[in-house]
Amino acid sequence: MVISKSEAALALSDIEKTTARAGVQRGYRIMGPILVLWGVIWAIGYGAMGVLPISNWGAVWAVLDLIGIVASIVMGRSASSERKSAYSWRVALLALTAGAFVACTFSVLRPDSGAAYMVFPGLLTGFIYIVVGTWRMTRLAWIGVVIAAATMVGWFFFLPYIAFWMAVVGGGGLIAGGLWLRSA
Amino acid sequence: MYEPDDLIHQPLRLKIMAALYAERNADPLEFSKLKSLTQATDGNLGSHLTTLEKAGYVAVEKDFVGKRPRTRVAVTPAGRNAFRRHVDYLRSVVEGVDD
Repeated sequence: MVISKSEAALALSDIEKTTARAGVQRGYRIMGPILVLWGVIWAIGYGAMGVLPISNWGAVWAVLDLIGIVASIVMGRSASSERKSAYSWRVALLALTAGAFVACTFSVLRPDSGAAYMVFPGLLTGFIYIVVGTWRMTRLAWIGVVIAAATMVGWFFFLPYIAFWMAVVGGGGLIAGGLWLRSA
Repeated sequence: MYEPDDLIHQPLRLKIMAALYAERNADPLEFSKLKSLTQATDGNLGSHLTTLEKAGYVAVEKDFVGKRPRTRVAVTPAGRNAFRRHVDYLRSVVEGVDD
């Protein structure tokens, strides 16, 4: 069998596209359970914000975030067969960067209500998913759109119940999104 | 130096091998996921998998999850080598190594 240069280039391009699709599907499989985990963390964290005084919010989220970051690293490492240390560093760096960004934004803008503290992380999470998803993982971008939109609906229409809104709609949205990714 | 693999070079079989090679370190791939990765139809995918299985390039496992039948496919060591060699050949053609 003789294969021309253009045929070979076409075949290599097909291989590249299929490999990229497989990479996206693998990413969904790894990220699905992690999103479910964060959905549960959101539900607990925002639920706690709805019932506890503002002075306890920081401690609640410090504990939940620590659990979430460690569990994300463990889940990702066990699901990903390659470059485990690179994955752990990336997750840790992303979490630290997001945390630092939220803290800096609050420090500069100084929100005057507890509701703003609750809503901003939801918007940021939605934005990050949209940015990451736009490159390769379309489903992640859609989850980001839903989380950001749900957050704004809560801000405009359910402000008195925003903590519980974020717990149920935000947390529930992440859980549903994680299950959707896992089914890909 | 490099030789083409006639069996792998068929377009759908090439995609099947590429998908399975990409998942070589993971669990065997379910038929439905392989179908979505290769954008093939059920019948077409099944017949090309049979060809690859006969050549010893893929291993097909059939079992049940509850009452639901499940077909999973993985690339064999022989299939990995054959695919790598074929990709090397394609690259050599594109890069004009034998020209």
